Parts: sequence; structure tokens; C-alpha cells
Amino acid sequence: VTSIRVTVNGQEHQAEVEPRVLLIHFLRDTLRITGPHIGCVVGRCGACTVLWKGKPVKSCMVYAVQVDGSEVMTVEGLAQDGELHPLQEAFWNADAAECGYCTPGMLMSAYGLLSHNPAPTTAEIKHALAGNLCRCTGYVNIVKAVQNAAQAMVTTPETDQLA
Amino acid sequence: MADHDGHDSGNGAYKIGSPARRLEIGRFVRGAGTYVDDLQLPNMLYAVFVRSASAHARIKSVDVEEARALPGVVAVLTGAELNSLVKPSHGSGSPLVTRLRVYPIAQDVVRYVGEPVAVAVAESRYAAQDAADAVMVEYEVLPPVLDPEQALEPAAAKLFPELETGNVVQELHIKTEDVDEVFAQADLIVSERLRSARVTACPMEARASLASYDATLDELTIWATSAGVHGVRGKVAESLGLGESKVRAIAPDIGGSFGAKNSTYPEDIAISALARKLGRPVNFTELRPEHLSSSKPGRDQIHYLDVAVRKDGRILGLRDRIVADLGAASTVDNSVSSAFLYVPGAYDVQVYQADAYGVATNKAPHGSLRGIGKADAALTLERVVDIIARKLGLDPAEVRFKNFVPEDAFPYKTATGAVLDSGRYETCLKKALELAGYDGLRREQATLDRPGVRRGIGMSLVIEPTSAARRRFGGGYASCHIRMEPSGRVAVYPNIGQQGQGHQTTITQIVADRLNIPPGQIDVFESDTAYTAYGPGTGSSRSSVTLMPAAMVAADLLKDKLLKIAGQVLEIDPDDLRIEGDAIRAVGLPDRSVPVREVARIAYHEVWMLPPGMEPALEMTGYFLNPNINYHPDERGRHNEFSAYPYEAVVAAVDVDLQTGAVEIVKYVSVHDCGTMLNPRIVQTQHIGCIAQGIGLALYEEMRFDEDGQLINSTFMDYLIPTVNEMPELILDHLETPTPFTPLGAKGAGETGALSPPAALGNAIQDALAPLGVELRETPYTPASLRRLIKAASGGAPAGGQALAAGGSARD
Repeated sequence: VTSIRVTVNGQEHQAEVEPRVLLIHFLRDTLRITGPHIGCVVGRCGACTVLWKGKPVKSCMVYAVQVDGSEVMTVEGLAQDGELHPLQEAFWNADAAECGYCTPGMLMSAYGLLSHNPAPTTAEIKHALAGNLCRCTGYVNIVKAVQNAAQAMVTTPETDQLA
Repeated sequence: MADHDGHDSGNGAYKIGSPARRLEIGRFVRGAGTYVDDLQLPNMLYAVFVRSASAHARIKSVDVEEARALPGVVAVLTGAELNSLVKPSHGSGSPLVTRLRVYPIAQDVVRYVGEPVAVAVAESRYAAQDAADAVMVEYEVLPPVLDPEQALEPAAAKLFPELETGNVVQELHIKTEDVDEVFAQADLIVSERLRSARVTACPMEARASLASYDATLDELTIWATSAGVHGVRGKVAESLGLGESKVRAIAPDIGGSFGAKNSTYPEDIAISALARKLGRPVNFTELRPEHLSSSKPGRDQIHYLDVAVRKDGRILGLRDRIVADLGAASTVDNSVSSAFLYVPGAYDVQVYQADAYGVATNKAPHGSLRGIGKADAALTLERVVDIIARKLGLDPAEVRFKNFVPEDAFPYKTATGAVLDSGRYETCLKKALELAGYDGLRREQATLDRPGVRRGIGMSLVIEPTSAARRRFGGGYASCHIRMEPSGRVAVYPNIGQQGQGHQTTITQIVADRLNIPPGQIDVFESDTAYTAYGPGTGSSRSSVTLMPAAMVAADLLKDKLLKIAGQVLEIDPDDLRIEGDAIRAVGLPDRSVPVREVARIAYHEVWMLPPGMEPALEMTGYFLNPNINYHPDERGRHNEFSAYPYEAVVAAVDVDLQTGAVEIVKYVSVHDCGTMLNPRIVQTQHIGCIAQGIGLALYEEMRFDEDGQLINSTFMDYLIPTVNEMPELILDHLETPTPFTPLGAKGAGETGALSPPAALGNAIQDALAPLGVELRETPYTPASLRRLIKAASGGAPAGGQALAAGGSARD
């Protein structure tokens, strides 16, 4: 058992973890941050995607001990003071979710894209989302939502929200 | 502007048929959806099942001693130990299997790789997995039965030696009077063998359940990823010997189902028994490889279809032999019967013979998957129609137009007794051809000059029977409980819960519309047997056909009572009163009104003011029976088992790379008719998702087994479902031909789009490759399989695009 200290969505946590525990299980079972989901545990479906040190990672591919001393952001970190992030609003308005299971991972991959590329092309959006599987929507509305979010974010000061 | 519940534009947007924004998505985008594995109860334990490594074997021994000694392990039970805690059930779904006794865990013989043989329970997921890994099972391997046609041979090993019918677990036959004469007189008989691959639904959330037992009250609660909580409750109660009311089944948010979560699974029973035995809550969360190997797969039918055809393309008769691989099915699903009933599809063909066999093999038991059975029927006929056109040198559209059920012939009784409710098949296909620019596409095809690439054009028109109701089915209706609270807020409890379909939104629309109250006054509570009235689960696209009318009935009953009470209070005839938002007003008398919440208060707290003889409270249940069902056989012994018949026309163009076998969808046009759209946004989103799944089934997905019955592709690394990059641009349109049998006119929208791609893309690929002599007969049309076919057709020479031999018609 190892002691780790990690900041998740701006809040610092300290915990004892077995070295073999995956980040996704640490987030969900220990910290009870259940937005990120588990779909495959082989790094393929992307339901567990979170931001680690500012970049999207599949949290089933990372051990909890690896994030010691660093920052992680999950879908729960997108809304500020209860106000949805423009990306979340865009997903809602474009019907970019059905069952909602893949949505937290999709949002974090999209957020990761927009934070370094505020005006992505459709091909760039598809490239960024290719590691996130969705069985319900057929992706069309998800791509549209990311396009809409990118537009909304360049035309409003909320772009500042991207660190 | 959104209110606190997320209704985006006030009352006006939440009407029947309006494109209302989906309410549920608000919690999903926050990461606040609550799925079974998100729940954590005090003292909760984790169960991991030990699963069979062999497809067919006798269990010689199960050694759990080492596993029990591991840290954090609370219990490890062998199959025999676990089974001793429950009452076995019987085989069902076919008279041939009712004598089989069914236990949650295998104890003598395993019949598929992945079948549970023991279970470990521990304080953490990791400890439970360690314990499961430490269980030693010794097998005596038996010969596996893997091919459904070989399974029919007398010499084949038997899955269930106690069955008199060998490996046949279901048999169905129909023959209309004049089949033999019609085939004897036909100009042409086209005979084809087509097979659909074994595939799996793959919702993004695999299965999960959590059971908690209260010993003091002798009550059990199970949270399950179930499409039908009342079914789960009944089965758990029966297995544990508890009264039904002592079991509460809840489905929180569910991460998709597509049929995979329609059944109560053995693990649900096992963890319920464990929670009772151990006195602590027990969580079971399936891992993806378990889901792929053990949750119920779909499709996998072989059809030998003969079609009697007249020279002009008119189809005179159909004769089908169906062999369906049902896996280790002690409980038989509806796949065979649904295929059997709907082979004639959208066509006016009254001469039909079918002989169908559901066959047991050593694979995971077959179950529902978006379009169960009906998809296999649609694929078979729609592929063969194109083959007929090719043989006769006709355009495939022309053959369809010649054979469609005419638009003035509805309701139309098919050869199998099915009553097609309504449809405009010809209009629908014409529209799709027009949107595709069909003539232009054909011209482009003829002049396309891309070395090593061939263009093909295909089409299909599929029907998708919805809202099944059969004798011994437990369906046949939906229920919706409604209560206006003393405060005037409305609580709605539909019996059918959702796994992504947006029931909360659609029901809010219906109740807000019928009561004419703001949507923000309505709360919808789903999938909890403690609150909802009894009824079947979702499946068969039944919610929009039966549940939404039930919600309408419930709202109308409530409205009627509100107006009667208001009439008494205002001393005005209730017929002259209207609900308008927060008040009930007299028509034409602006000063005569009473607030809705005042009427609600009176109903509970001032019962002396109620009309004479009226019962207190504002609480009622609306029911809606499946319409258009014939439970009683007609003069020819036929039933109608489905209420409504949505349909879709697809026109697709593909480019096939002859070197790689890769298929690029260059055009995909869908014209879909699901009757009246209760919420066009929800329909559209669901329909696109259907198409995506259908593209997966057409081009990528197949469960592959080795000669020992091991599933080769048991992760998302090798069982490939479409990603964002596999989606082509879609051209979509809708017709709205209401079903005449329900007050809302909706036919169901959740399946149809998944049926078309294997047919339409298959036809397009066949069209591209026919000049090479390629005959496409099995899904999926993967690059590897197409390359194989191209190579075989060119006599093993490297594929390079040279046209070989002759086209299909000469060869045949």
C-alpha cells in the first residue's frame, strides 16, 4: 500500500492505495467520483477518459500511484458553480447523448481537444473522438456538439475557462 | 431559457410531437447519471464469477480452498453450493425445453465458454477477482457442438441428453395451400443460402446488479441493469422463495441495452441469494470480456430461401428453411418465431412455406438484439430481391415496386396472419431514390474510373414489427400510474423504464400536453417496482406504441377528475371548464376560475367538497392494451403477434477497394416511417444510432469461435464496433404514416434503422462485385471476407479489378 496525494477537480485528496489499483477504480470506488465510467478496461472505449496533467487519458490505463502529486480533472470539474460549461450545454442542445454512459468520456476528450485547438476541423474532431465509443448516437450529434461548442467558445469570454 | 429542471423553452415546447430538448441529458453531461455500479452501499461486497474455460465439458471437481484463504475473501461457492440456495426454474419459450431444469450456475456440465461455474465474494473488486482466479476447476472435455447444421446430424453430440428432439429446441412450420403448384408453374425459381453472423449488442455499460437483503423484514432489493424490473422481481422472488412484494427491483440509469439487458440473468439470481446468505449487499459488475462471452448475443440464422418468380419480376411464392443457432438455450427467445413470421416483408406474397429450427450449440445462449429475428427475415428477403432483379435483368427498385403491398391495401393480412397496420412502401422507396439521385448514381457508376475500385448501388425496404404480444408472453399492455400531489405537482410512474430512449421527456410532453400544465410541474419516476404499476419491460420498441398511450390515458383520467371537482367548486358544468396552466377556468367567463393546486388540496384535504360519491385523492393508473393483436388463431391457425410496423427505405452507394476489400460508403439515404413522431429530435437521434449499429453488423461485427468453441474476439480490441470514423454522411428523411390502432399514431423508432445496412450495403457490395463473379452470402462484409471472395472468384489470382467470367445472371 502506497500513500498518494492527488488534486482532482481542484480538490486535494490523500489516500492509501494498492499499487495495482487503476486510476478509474481509485476515482470511482475510493474518491466516489463516479462520472467517469468503465466500458472495457483495455483502453479502447474511452468511457473512463479524464484529463491528467491537462491531457485526455483513459483512466483504466493509468495506475492510481502514477498520478501522485499531479492534477486530474473529471467531467465533474467542467461545470463551475453549478453553471454548465459551454461544451456541456452544446452536448445537451445537440442531443449528443442517449443513455449517457459514454458522455463523460466524450466530454473530456472533446475538452482536451478544444483546450489546445479552439477551432478544430471536422476531421480533427473525429480524430480526437476516435478513441471514444458510443453505441447509442451514431456520433453525428456528438461531432455537431463539439463544432457548436467551439463556435460558442470563440464568441464568448467563456474561453477563459480552458486552462 | 431553461428552468431548474432543464425545460428549455416553457410550456409550448413540451407538447406531443414537439422537438423538446431531452431532460435526462442534463444529468448525463454533468456526469451525474447514476448507473448500478455507481451505487455504493455500506458493507457492500463484490462478486466475481468463475467462468467455464471449456465450451462443453463435465465438471470433475471445483476446488475453492485456496481461494477461500485469500485476504479479503468472504465466501467462495461452487455451483452446487450456490444452487442449493435457490429453487431451479424450468426451460421456457418453446414446448421442447420445458422439461429442462435451469440453475444459475453450472454444476455438472458446462455448455459454453463463459458459463458461471463458481462465485467468489470479497471486500473489494480486486480481492474478489484474486479469489475467482484461484478457484481450480477440473474438466472432462466433451465434444463441442458449434455448427448449427452439424448439430442436426444424428451423430452430433447432444447438449441436453434429456431432450427427445436432439439439439432441436424449437420447431415451427407453416405452409399455405398452393405452395407446390405455384413453384411448379413459376418462370424462375431463385434459391439462395444466406447467413447472418453471430453478433452482440454491446451497450457501453455492460451488465451489473446489486442486491441487498434486510433479514429483519425478510425483504430483498435488487438494483439491476434491467429493461424490465417487474420481470426481475418475479424471477428473483420465485428463485429465493420470497413473496413478490418482498422483492423490490430498481433499474437506475442504464447505459444502453439494445436487447442485451432484456433478460433476467443467472448472476442476478446468484447475487440475490448471496446477499441473503451473507447478510451484506453484493455487487456484480460484468467486465467487457464477460459481456462478450456470456451475455446474450443475437442474429446467427441460416436461411435457405426459394423464391418462385414470374418473368416480369412478380414474386409468386416463398419457401424458406431456417436454421437458427440459439446457443446453449434452455430458455428459447423469440428470434426464430419472429423471423419465421416476417420473411414475406413488405411484399404482397400470400404463398409461403417455412420450416424453422432453433438449434442448441455450445455457445452463450441467444437473446434479443435490436430487431431480433425480424432482422434476419429482412436481410434474407431484401438480399434475394436484388438477386432476382439481377437474374431477370431488371432494376431492383422495379422489382420492389412490382411486389410491394399496395398503399390502399392496409390493414393488410400477410401469409403468416400478421396484420400490417399502415404503410406507404412505394412512396417511401421513391423518396429515397429521389434523395439519392438514383439515376445519376447509376450513371456515375457506369463511368466511374478509379483503378482497383468498384462502385455498387444497393437498396432495401425493411419492415420492423414492434410491440410484440403473445400468449404466455407476459406482455400485451403497458401501464402508467399518475398522481397529482396535494401541492398540485404531478408524479408519473410508467411501468416501462428507459435505457437511453428519453421516456422522461416524452412522458412529460404527453402529460403536459393533455393536462395543459407547465412541464416543470411534472416529475417522472421510472423502473422501480415499489412505485410503478405492473407491466412488461421495454423491448420490441413498445414504449411509443403502448406506454405513451397509457400515459395519455392516465393524464386524461386525472384531467377528468380535476375538472369534475372544479365543476363542483365553481358550480359550472365540467364540460365548460379548461385547465390553463396553474388554473382551471370557465370557457368565456374570465372571472370564474380555481387554481389547480386548490383543486388538488380539496381532493385530499377537503373531501366534503367533492362531488357526491367521488373517491378522494388524485391518483389513478392508465392502461393501454396492445392493439392489433390476434391471440386467437384465425381459420388457418394464424396469430398476429405485433402491434405496429414501422419501415425504412435505404439507398446506398459503396466503393469497394479490390486490393484491400475495404468498403467506403459514399452515399447513405434513409427514409424512415415510424408513424407519428412524438418527439422528432428523439426519433432522429435514435434512428442515427440504429444506422450506426446496423453499419457495424454489416461491415465489422462478428463473434468468431475457434474449433474448441473459444470466443476469439472477446475484447473491444478485436470485436469492432463502429467509431466516429466509420460513420458516413447520412441523408435522412421521414414519412409520418400513423398507425390507425393507437391514439398517438406512433409505431416505434428504436430498431428499424439497424435492419437495413446489412441488406442495403450487402446489395451495394454485391452490385459492385457481381461483374467479378463474386457472390456475397454471409455477413459481415469485412475487408478480409471480401478479399477472400474476390480472390476466389478470380481463381486465386491477385485481385486487380479485371472483370472475370460473366455477370451473375449468365452464371446462374
